[in-house]
Amino acid sequence: MIDRPPSAASRIRQRRPASAPESTSPEARLLQWLAEALLIVGLLGLQPTLMLSWVAIGLTLLAGLKLLEAKRLAERRLVGLLQLVCAGVLGALHADLGPSLLQGLAVFLALAGLLALEAGQGPDWRLLLRRSLQVLIGALPVALALFVLMPRLAPFAPLSDLGQGGARMGLSESLAPGSIASLAANEDPAARVSFEGDQPPEAADRYWRVLVHDRFDGESWQTSPTRPKTAPGTAPAPAGTGFSKAQQLWVAEASGLEAVPWDGSALPLGRELRINGRGELLHSGRASQRRLYGLRPRQGMDGSWRRIPPRPTDLIFPAGMNPQLEALGRSWQEAGPPAARLALAETWFRSRPFRYNRSPGTLPKLAPLDAFLFERQEGFCGHYASAFSALMRAAGVPARVVSGYQGGTWVQPLGGPGYLDLRQDNAHAWSEVWVEAEGWRRVDPTTWIAPGRGGGLSAAPGRGAAGWLERQWWALDLAWGRWWLGFDREGQEALLQRLLGERRNLVGVLVLAAVSGGLGISVSVLGWLRKRPEGDPPRRELERALAALARRGLVPEAGETLRGFSARLEQSEPELGALLRALAEPYQLWRYGAGGRSARQARLLNASLRSQRHGLERALRRQPRRRPTA
Amino acid sequence: MNFGTTQQGDPLKLGMRNLYIVPTRFGLLWLAGIGLLQVVAIQLESNGPLLLSFLMLGLFLLTLHLTHFNLEGLEVRSGEPAAGFAGDTLAYPLRLRCRGRCEGLRLRLGPSEPDQARSLAPGEHLLTLPWIPPERGKVRPGTLRLLTTAPLGLFVCWSRWAPPVPQLVIPAPRRGPVGQAQSHAEPEEGARTSSRGESGGDLWQDLQPHRPEDGARRLAWRLLAQGRGAHAKRFVAPLAEAPLLTPAAGIPLERALEHLSAAILRLHGEGASYGLVLGPTTIPPGRGPGHRDRCLEALALAPRSL
Repeated sequence: MIDRPPSAASRIRQRRPASAPESTSPEARLLQWLAEALLIVGLLGLQPTLMLSWVAIGLTLLAGLKLLEAKRLAERRLVGLLQLVCAGVLGALHADLGPSLLQGLAVFLALAGLLALEAGQGPDWRLLLRRSLQVLIGALPVALALFVLMPRLAPFAPLSDLGQGGARMGLSESLAPGSIASLAANEDPAARVSFEGDQPPEAADRYWRVLVHDRFDGESWQTSPTRPKTAPGTAPAPAGTGFSKAQQLWVAEASGLEAVPWDGSALPLGRELRINGRGELLHSGRASQRRLYGLRPRQGMDGSWRRIPPRPTDLIFPAGMNPQLEALGRSWQEAGPPAARLALAETWFRSRPFRYNRSPGTLPKLAPLDAFLFERQEGFCGHYASAFSALMRAAGVPARVVSGYQGGTWVQPLGGPGYLDLRQDNAHAWSEVWVEAEGWRRVDPTTWIAPGRGGGLSAAPGRGAAGWLERQWWALDLAWGRWWLGFDREGQEALLQRLLGERRNLVGVLVLAAVSGGLGISVSVLGWLRKRPEGDPPRRELERALAALARRGLVPEAGETLRGFSARLEQSEPELGALLRALAEPYQLWRYGAGGRSARQARLLNASLRSQRHGLERALRRQPRRRPTA
Repeated sequence: MNFGTTQQGDPLKLGMRNLYIVPTRFGLLWLAGIGLLQVVAIQLESNGPLLLSFLMLGLFLLTLHLTHFNLEGLEVRSGEPAAGFAGDTLAYPLRLRCRGRCEGLRLRLGPSEPDQARSLAPGEHLLTLPWIPPERGKVRPGTLRLLTTAPLGLFVCWSRWAPPVPQLVIPAPRRGPVGQAQSHAEPEEGARTSSRGESGGDLWQDLQPHRPEDGARRLAWRLLAQGRGAHAKRFVAPLAEAPLLTPAAGIPLERALEHLSAAILRLHGEGASYGLVLGPTTIPPGRGPGHRDRCLEALALAPRSL
């Protein structure tokens, strides 16, 4: 090697300013912009009250700005990484099927952009996308092995809802029907539930409780702020039960409430769920996001919240605020057991000209329930439930108001399990009264007035083709939720339990074996793909034949034509040379000849080339192996 | 990355023993990104970032092999480099034989910047690499660095090789005075370096009967016109006037060689004949491309001191 005088080196440096290599790949730029656009679309549904939303917005903007100004390869790579991280953060914020597809596509485009950056100028699109897919699929075995088997850590800090403000659901902790003039039609989705064996409950039993309002102040019903203790016997299911055992699988939209809808009788699956003493199902996940949870069937009523006796607060009735109501209730106090008083109340309601009306106007501040029961006599479920519960309390029967959903539309999609679709229009309120023999009994006074309303009148979600498409999509979304969101720590525990049983200490070995196995398979397949001849099928046959010859050291010289090579080969190895010529001549005639190139011709040629190649390979096998003649 | 043993020998076949691979700075940043996504996934108990972080880890492990694949099995040999002038950008030919597809290959000769990444299909490829030779002589182009970061830029895989075939580098042509050696065949002291004119009547000494092989250029047209018959002009020593170039005295040798290089190119361009004397080496006067190349090669290979 020649030592270079320093002056010469500095001269060269002057001519070419030292700079990192610039990236000029227009493909990479386009791919990165596409990924950026998808990420920006993904930002649209974010809730501004969540801090993580701002992290995602910041990362996306940063990636966009960097992409605008980036010239050097290193900067463009950084854009790709930022986009990947951003897609991951979005994945934590939006895990539904649609956003997940969007994020997946953004990840693919960001990876393809990185690949295009490295591949240099002019790889054609098909090659680039194929290569991106190859690399992505190649990495999947390792990723899936780790995802499925790698034991998951518990969160470092308790989940905090950074801002609960995003209440979207129609339910609220205070029920004051008198202050609502009109119920607005609201077809927003509330929840979806699928049932084991596609067996939804009877229409009359479709009551999905969410909140229990047990504090009455004469005008409105509130949920008591103190959390009643967990109902005995309703502790979460033991670890090791996954969603596969779920009898009901729920997807509840963001509500801002800790309580989520349920049927009131099943048992919760998973640590994040618990049932409190008044029969609310509480979910510790973030209430500002969609939540997915499973319930399993309960045998018998033992330990159910229904059996928890009423507390003194369940009888509190502010005296003097609704004097007529109070007087009516007191008149039933002597009627006998609670069941008899209940029957009296039903008869009373049915004998009066009550009407169901979604827009009854507001009630006066003074004695609002008196005004409803004895003057207006029209209203919606909230009016009936609160007036009836107040009457029961006045009659000395512990009672409370429950709000939740009722009814729902059964949707049977084209494929996959059916589901019950609950909209905000299905929001409902009913009463619960304590009957000594059976516990808390559900009573829906609205059904006495408007049987259609109480008997499972279903809102018709999204009419027409768009509505149909929407329902199909939600079915897919639910299935996605079952498999994707459902695979949490508990699901993983169950899987590991099944795989390893008592030998849980082998989990490390299992992870290592799965990762190295996955990596080994990917590396071998990609290595084989890399050496596979390129071009159309006839070209590949020719390349394979040449490769077979090359394994014996018979290679064309630099610049030698195929014809020249076969002629030379014929001199030293007459049989092989003739075989190669028999293969090369039709190939060249097809490739360079004037004749047409129909698909059928190509197929015929391909078959003949393949048989020629096999003949050549057989001839090579017959020959004794010699030292390669380079 | 620029360390590791420089491989010798021609051809060079790349494999486990002569390839180096380490993560790039971007690769380390990538690992940091994986860590960040893991934190998000664990804290929010979310599957999306968890799968993505594992996917990125899978890509990291996979590209370690894929990057290595790009160069593994690559066979490099020198081509036959053509002569060039010092200070110019010369093209050094390389023959590459790829066993499989070779992605994102960057080549770099000596201290020059690596060229744009290129992807090579399996098979033979002839590439030329630019380099600027710093000096004259038979110069080897320094260390060739073959490097790739494809497919994702997470790892850099490289090898260093000293191509053994040197390229002939002629002193850069530079206008300036050149010396002229005393030719023993030359009857006059002539310090003239100019070429002989087409019709320089004062340069011919005698006439002789014109023979067909003398051609039209030597025909004494005036005599023919005067009707005195066809005579050919006879030059006393036609080649004796061809200058025997030699380094000018009083100038550093390297500079003088550069002047000679320019003079040879100029004389060749004018179609003149010339010779060269470089210390013990003497190239008798002549003309034509072969003669020019011989002279230039002699300049390139001239000893450092005469």
